[in-house]
Amino acid sequence: MRLHRAGRWAWLTALFIAPVLAQPLPGRLQLCDACHGPGGNSQIAGTPSLAAQPVIFLENQLVLLREGMREVPQMAAAVQGLKDAEIRAIARHYASQRPAPPRGSPDAALMKRGAALAGKLHCGSCHEADFRGREQMPRLATQREEYLVAAMNSYRDYTRKGGDTMMAAALYSVSDADVKALAHYLVHTR
Amino acid sequence: MLAATAVYAQPKPPPAWHQGKPPAQAESKLAPLPGRNTETPASEIPIGKIKLPKGFTVEIWASGFPGGRAMARGDSGKIYMGTRGMGRVYEVTDEGSRRTVRVVVDKLTQPSGVAMHGGSLYVMAIDKVLRFDGIEKNPGVQPVDLTDKFNLPPEQHHNWKYIAFGPDGKLYVPFGAPCNICEPSGEYAQIRRYNADGSGMEVIARGVRNTQGFTWHPKTGELWFTDHGRDWMGDKGPEDELNRMSKVGLNFGYPYCHAKGVLDVDFKKAGGCKGVTLPVTTMGPHAAAMGVIFYTGSMFPKAYQNTMFVARKGSWNRTVKFGFDVANVRAGADGKGAKVKPFMTGFLEDPKTAKFWGRPAYLLQMPDGSMLVSDEQMGAIYRVSYKK
Repeated sequence: MRLHRAGRWAWLTALFIAPVLAQPLPGRLQLCDACHGPGGNSQIAGTPSLAAQPVIFLENQLVLLREGMREVPQMAAAVQGLKDAEIRAIARHYASQRPAPPRGSPDAALMKRGAALAGKLHCGSCHEADFRGREQMPRLATQREEYLVAAMNSYRDYTRKGGDTMMAAALYSVSDADVKALAHYLVHTR
Repeated sequence: MLAATAVYAQPKPPPAWHQGKPPAQAESKLAPLPGRNTETPASEIPIGKIKLPKGFTVEIWASGFPGGRAMARGDSGKIYMGTRGMGRVYEVTDEGSRRTVRVVVDKLTQPSGVAMHGGSLYVMAIDKVLRFDGIEKNPGVQPVDLTDKFNLPPEQHHNWKYIAFGPDGKLYVPFGAPCNICEPSGEYAQIRRYNADGSGMEVIARGVRNTQGFTWHPKTGELWFTDHGRDWMGDKGPEDELNRMSKVGLNFGYPYCHAKGVLDVDFKKAGGCKGVTLPVTTMGPHAAAMGVIFYTGSMFPKAYQNTMFVARKGSWNRTVKFGFDVANVRAGADGKGAKVKPFMTGFLEDPKTAKFWGRPAYLLQMPDGSMLVSDEQMGAIYRVSYKK
């Protein structure tokens, strides 16, 4: 599975990314949209939506990815050599896009369980009551649910590098089932 | 892959940044202020907003190094800067009319500690110690890895470093409390010193929550250091501290006794302040008092001689923001009679809405007596000079 994915990405890199790297901003955005979806609303499982994310969050993550502090193999070639000014422009672009509604419909039991957990863990203190995010703290509402699960697991399990220690602390000892309920609730809250 | 992840995730205790948050503040939206990871062009730094006492002027001396904070100056005049989240150490070279910047090393875990000693650059990240010998003359020098010699503990929170060599030629290294408020295990909440090669470790002060700046008094040679007060006890404090270490082995109070004898609300202990060395002065609630220098140059007016400058990066855990300035502290060599006065201001535009543009973090006195101030938010160094 991993080999297959890696191989696919090498292929994509050779075909699309190399020529696009030399292009000005609109070309770059096409490249981003190719995976992150039109206007940054992802249609690919495991790939996060970028639409309406806070500018600072997007800037910070792009820098961490470029510097190799946060390791995402699929992103390595795409961000290589990006200049700070380009990063700022890409971040501004996606921050101003409209988020698409979440996929699927909310499950009442999961919503209830997720709401209780989000209250207990104070998710809204930083991510805002409607989870639209602010500053360095990402938007969670309308994110892809399976991506949010993976992201929270990686914070909790210390496998996501380059961030600060806040999210690992916030998710300390939260079970897999609770992470799933949280993700479902956060994605569907509007 | 999965098995390795599970093992790695096993025993870590929570760094608990929100630990100690009382029910009354459960809905508080206070959160650490975001840094900036992208370069800020000099043209976007509103240097004209900085205010200084009469006769002082400020200029942008160097810029373009996101997250740059503590500064260490080599004999040739090159300045090395550590960072936290950026993972980089920068080298700033003064070419007379302009300054150039390069990255010495990157991808480290919060390499905020930088110090020059005997022509070598020492870099301390949370989990790594590197020495770059003769780096000013030999920019491509490969580092010597000294990590094994320093026995660094595993927790990350509050364990990013400020480091400096003392008048005794030893390397002084803080190990912060890995939490907001807790009773940490024996390797934390202290200041240690080591021989330059990592041998001869001594714990010289305990009860120190998180010091991010220290220096030695020009007359007495005693260590003076800032220490950050705990969070989530309200807007009033406990205040950050400016401490004086008159001898080795003192206890500065954490976690039971804060600031000027304020007892902790979560870790209550009868006589919690007994035997605790209280600060020379407090530096304000949640101020984030960072780098300190004693001014010994000849450029500033005589009244500043041997007084202290303290960079206050500014509060996050406070509904009305405080700090975001450089303060001047006048005190006796014995620490008595301390008076704190804001010196360099204008970075904080509206305390109520947290509107700020810069965060002064560290200070460096130059050979001509001017003072460099690093701004971690803007990734820049400003030069403060005086003319009658």
